Amino acid sequence: MGMTLGSHLTPLARSHIEQADVVFAGLSDGIVEMWLQRMHPDVRSLQPYYREGKSRLKTYRQWVDLMMAEVRAGKRVCGVFYGHPGVFAWSPHKVIEVARAEGYEAHMEPGVSAEDCLYADLGIDPGRFGCQHFEASQLLFYERRLDPSAYLVLWQVALVGDRSLARFATGAPYRQVLLDLLSRDYPAEHEIILYRAATLPIERPRVRRIALRDLPHVPLTAEDTVVLPPAVALRPNEAIRARLEALDKLEKTGTVV
Amino acid sequence: MQDTIDLLEAIGRDASLRHASADELSRVLEQAQASPALTAAATSGDRAPLSVELGAKPNQAPQITQAPGHEDDEEQEEQEEQSSASARRSD
Ligand SMILES: C[S@@+](CC[C@H](N)C(=O)[O-])C[C@H]1O[C@@H](n2cnc3c(N)ncnc32)[C@H](O)[C@@H]1O
Repeated sequence: MGMTLGSHLTPLARSHIEQADVVFAGLSDGIVEMWLQRMHPDVRSLQPYYREGKSRLKTYRQWVDLMMAEVRAGKRVCGVFYGHPGVFAWSPHKVIEVARAEGYEAHMEPGVSAEDCLYADLGIDPGRFGCQHFEASQLLFYERRLDPSAYLVLWQVALVGDRSLARFATGAPYRQVLLDLLSRDYPAEHEIILYRAATLPIERPRVRRIALRDLPHVPLTAEDTVVLPPAVALRPNEAIRARLEALDKLEKTGTVV
Repeated sequence: MQDTIDLLEAIGRDASLRHASADELSRVLEQAQASPALTAAATSGDRAPLSVELGAKPNQAPQITQAPGHEDDEEQEEQEEQSSASARRSD
């Protein structure tokens, strides 16, 4: 579906929607869902399967089951998700895997994700310094290596540290844990960006710049993606450069073909 | 009065409307006989009047989330379920 109503849906994705027998909708914006309903007479919202206190993994497995039940009934099924269906999203990948394992044809159409909008709206090129992306909780649960000379993009920060997978948001103490972890690599005054892409075409992107240390205390929605620009300059790797230089010399003298 | 969702789609797909100033957009919308709610939302950049007009409930926050990076948790959860039905932790 892409992020913004009217702007991002590809012609091919729209055609998949129109030609499906059944359409399932996992969208972040109720008005975008209404727009989707215009494209097909049988659009089924996946929204009602969420419940506070119920593990989201259960919900996502239910989604897979719902879609697969229609596939097994011989229907052409189209799952519509906001952004890119395969970016930081579990069930679209899973349902394709399950369908293929059962011998059905299935594939994913790419879409314009929050990540794509972020690069455009914030003027960031992920190739400039490199760019790491993490689901915020995963960064806490596992030993990871951050590279503060690259961009760091954190997803789902509003839910950071939720081990139950059953809450709709976690609070300041959880974000404090994230802050403490990030403070190992980034100074407290480092300017970070809280970003929300427009989902309606009458909206502007929301861009808030704050000091890293304030992260636990600012209001944050589930839609906010957090960006940490590089905090240190790239450091030349002298050993590798020397090795490459030696190779260049060999090439010049014709030893290496 | 023109249909609001149709107008939103028209704005979303039009290069001059999508990035028009609030003033321009509200002028165009008035000419197009948009609903007062859409005109107000476009002028302010705030969706609230639209949600009222369309009766759109905000989608649950978790609608916005999925669970990548938690595949291991899934296995754990299954084991927990197998070992004890009441093992669900609430921490
Ligand atoms: C489960 S992921 C889904 C991402 C989606 N598949 C995509 O392609 O953008 C949810 C996370 O995406 C990000 N996100 C969702 N909506 C957003 C928006 N409107 N602007 C910026 N980031 C958004 C937030 O980090 C949120 O926690």
